Amino acid sequence: MSTNLETTNLKTDEMIINMGPQHPATHGVLRLILKLDGEIVRHVEPVIGHLHRAQEWQGQNRTLFQYQALIDRVDYLSGMFTSLAFAHACEQIDGCQIPPRAQYLRALVCEMNRISSHLLWLGTFLIDLGALFGFPFYPFREREKLLDLFEEIAGQRMMFNYIRIGGVQRDPKPSWFEKVRKFTAEFPDRIDEYEAIVTQNPIVLKRTKGVGILDKSVAMDYGVTGPSIRGSGINYDLRKTRPYGIYPELNFEIPLGQNQGDTWDRYMCRILEMRQSNNLINQCLDKMPEGEISGKKQIAGLRIKAGEGFSAIESPRGVLGCYVISNGSDKAYRIRWRNPSFCNLAVLPSLLIGRPISDIMAIFGSIDVILPDVDR
Amino acid sequence: MLANSAELFKFTRLTLIWLTLIFGSVWGACFIVGVLLPTLLLRACDNEIFALLAQICQYLTPLIAILVFIPINAMFMVLVERRGLALFTVRMGPNRVGPDGLLQTAADAVKLLFKEDIIPTGADAWLFTLAPIIFFAPSIFGSIPLLAAITGNNDLFAITNLPTGIFFIIAASSVPVVGIVMGGWASNNKYSLVGGLRSAAQAISYEIPLVLSLVTICYLNQSLNVVEIASRQTGGFLNWNIFGGGALNGLDKYLNALINGSSNANDILQAYYPSNQWILTVIAIAGLVVSTIIAFFMYITAACAEVNRIPFDLPEAESELVSGYNTEYSGIKFAIFFLAEFTNLFIVSSIATIMFLGAGNNPIPQFLIDYLFKNVTFIPQTINAITQALSPLINQIHLINPITFWSVVWMIVKTYSLVFFAVLVRGTLPRFKIDQLMDFGWKRLIPLSLLVFFIVIFAKGVINTNV
Amino acid sequence: MSQTDTNKPNETKEMELGKFGKFLKDNGIDSTRKDDSINVETIVISVKDLEPALRLLKTSSETKLNMLLTISGVDYTDRIDSIYHLWSYDHNDALVIKVELPKQSQANTDTVNLTSIANFWSAANWHERETYDLVGIRYLRHPYLRRILNPWDWEGHPLRRDYKQLVDALNDKNPHSFR
Repeated sequence: MSTNLETTNLKTDEMIINMGPQHPATHGVLRLILKLDGEIVRHVEPVIGHLHRAQEWQGQNRTLFQYQALIDRVDYLSGMFTSLAFAHACEQIDGCQIPPRAQYLRALVCEMNRISSHLLWLGTFLIDLGALFGFPFYPFREREKLLDLFEEIAGQRMMFNYIRIGGVQRDPKPSWFEKVRKFTAEFPDRIDEYEAIVTQNPIVLKRTKGVGILDKSVAMDYGVTGPSIRGSGINYDLRKTRPYGIYPELNFEIPLGQNQGDTWDRYMCRILEMRQSNNLINQCLDKMPEGEISGKKQIAGLRIKAGEGFSAIESPRGVLGCYVISNGSDKAYRIRWRNPSFCNLAVLPSLLIGRPISDIMAIFGSIDVILPDVDR
Repeated sequence: MLANSAELFKFTRLTLIWLTLIFGSVWGACFIVGVLLPTLLLRACDNEIFALLAQICQYLTPLIAILVFIPINAMFMVLVERRGLALFTVRMGPNRVGPDGLLQTAADAVKLLFKEDIIPTGADAWLFTLAPIIFFAPSIFGSIPLLAAITGNNDLFAITNLPTGIFFIIAASSVPVVGIVMGGWASNNKYSLVGGLRSAAQAISYEIPLVLSLVTICYLNQSLNVVEIASRQTGGFLNWNIFGGGALNGLDKYLNALINGSSNANDILQAYYPSNQWILTVIAIAGLVVSTIIAFFMYITAACAEVNRIPFDLPEAESELVSGYNTEYSGIKFAIFFLAEFTNLFIVSSIATIMFLGAGNNPIPQFLIDYLFKNVTFIPQTINAITQALSPLINQIHLINPITFWSVVWMIVKTYSLVFFAVLVRGTLPRFKIDQLMDFGWKRLIPLSLLVFFIVIFAKGVINTNV
Repeated sequence: MSQTDTNKPNETKEMELGKFGKFLKDNGIDSTRKDDSINVETIVISVKDLEPALRLLKTSSETKLNMLLTISGVDYTDRIDSIYHLWSYDHNDALVIKVELPKQSQANTDTVNLTSIANFWSAANWHERETYDLVGIRYLRHPYLRRILNPWDWEGHPLRRDYKQLVDALNDKNPHSFR
């Protein structure tokens, strides 16, 4: 029953609207220069860089040890993943061994972080849809519990600096594992709660089904990764396709979009992914070995061998890559980030053209972009 | 089960305190202007001028009541909305200003009054200033005819008893959209402009089902007078307009007769629902009841769209248009927009109460009351004792008029329940898209409201609702 | 800390061609293999071969390297490398392509020129803009080559080794500081 808004023959002037950088729904400081014909978007130009902190420049001007503390800020919602990507690249260049307990701890905190990141996405996505004061706060309730758990092991709620080159920072107490178990035990019920209020909601269905269809070929051309491309039905998850860490030993599935890759599919993918992550946390807890937690001494003058390497991991937003060129000193010669948000955002204009203003937020929310991750 | 029962208790307490505050002050103002001042004036000197002044005072009472009521009520409703939403979304809500956050919105109001009043560059200053006034004024003069119905046609408010009350209210309620478009256009802001235009489109399309559902009720009651419509719904919820607009009157009377043991119960039933064509009668009653219930929900839906509440808050869609037509407003002008928005919500809810939910009438059916009075003796005794104790207040100083008192109490309960329902809806639903909104309005609501109207016309011809 | 230590990583020696190098050679594109970057085949190709090579690698059913991860620019003081990381959505092979752009050969060392691939590979669009912005490789025939992360009126390319930071008003170790 969708009305075709394009068939009117009325001649009207086009209006240029500057959406952002201060706008309630651009998730920070994205600026979209929209050319509107009535309510229909005719042209979009994303302007990014308002949050540019020169992370790559800082990477080559600070020692590796100092830089470790900074990289959580690359993507503030999934700090564990940015740390992991950097640590992974450095370890592969260095060739140092990571103890199995550290591996499991990494997978554990990463999956917890994936859940907390998706929860925040769920809340903001619903705000974008206009449920302004409603259920956004239910996801935040669970996220708060996760952040408390992170605070207990890393000392910080969001900027963890927990995963270090060679291992992890500290060994959690046994009571911490019990708390995680308690969380995972009740979390599936919580997801059921969100689904009950969102998945069945007729207005949500109307706003998301068939909106912002991301075609497979377009997505691949733009290098889209993460749940955004899995929503389009492409089974591409680094945890399965190029397994890293201990993921080969864990048992999980990759949820895929069932329709043609619209906003609804991307929503469903993330919801199902949270369930999978919850499952993974439980497996990590069950298999958690004893032993060392770091294979490299954590000192201020930390060095890695000379060489270069690219390493990528599956972050909540897609393939998060880190390209490190080391010359054997305590500073990297060049650090280059491949951020999933940056690459996913590039596809936004092709999704928006021809859609009404109201869809901008639904589509933009569904590809889950974090602006610090875009601008670095 | 009720994890936040403490919050719930606080919320209830806060509501009761604020309601006492609102209606205490309104009652106080009315008493001073309508009873005390005229009495004093007449006692001071017995000449024509003073008598005229006393009469003017009495005529001014409704206006004073409204002017006192609107700002305090808006403050209360904002607080209810924020605390209520906090309840639904597992938060605390504002709880710092005053005891338990009681004075939060009062503080907000003071803050808004003292904020700088900015007129943006390039804005049309005249229209920019006029817009909030045009938006707010209808909510004052539109609510005046309601007063007579709310107060049970009290003498002081008899002046507001318009013969074409509902017509006047509908006319008034369609004015605010002019203010919104004006404000949106004058702000020199594209978001505001889009918001204003959306608002115009929305108001035009949703006014039709709104009016049609009210017309249905007016037709059933054969009156445009809100007081008369209210008085036709006396005697329990079976007589409310939402349940057939009098279609169940006979049932009510029949049950009444049965309880009281009167012998003509079957005669009453026969008079209302003639048995020679009982199939037709049953169909007609069912049709009436179903269509008035549909009309009620249609009214609620359209009213939500009229007052720009979620899920129809497209003119001020925050995630799309920043804040729509009031993006550029600040200080007192923004406060007026805010005030009018919540006053409109209250007015819309009280119209729903008067037209559908029995106005200030007791929801408990008369036969149930009779039954209770007969079998539980202490109830009538207690009531008699209280009445005796209060009689000096009622008869000599005219402090309380029992009819008005109970009417207002039931109005408060029903109206604020509807307001709370609107808050609940806001806590659960996301926003429509503009094309879906238009679709829903023109393709669903308007045909449905016409259908309901025709069903009511035919069904009313079959059964006799006015014996 | 305006200037970093400029010890370049050791130059790598050439190796035998790998799978993709051979494939390119079969199709008439010469390449030399460098040290692997963590077990990933790394080849160097010339400027003029870049566009046909990438077009071939992207579309050929034999290689199917259809995922452009990133384009990075690295300043090695005497030359600038434009590095293409290619992965695939369909299989697990990977390839790193480097294009070396010696600064001497350029007329103006502020910018070095290279062909853009954004015309047939949308993913390259923003990466090329970013590399232009930060490293200063001018991708010719790019549809919209503007600065993307820095403001449009920024001077210089911050990730160049010879980049001089402008007077930093907020750094109190700076003699020109306002503090």
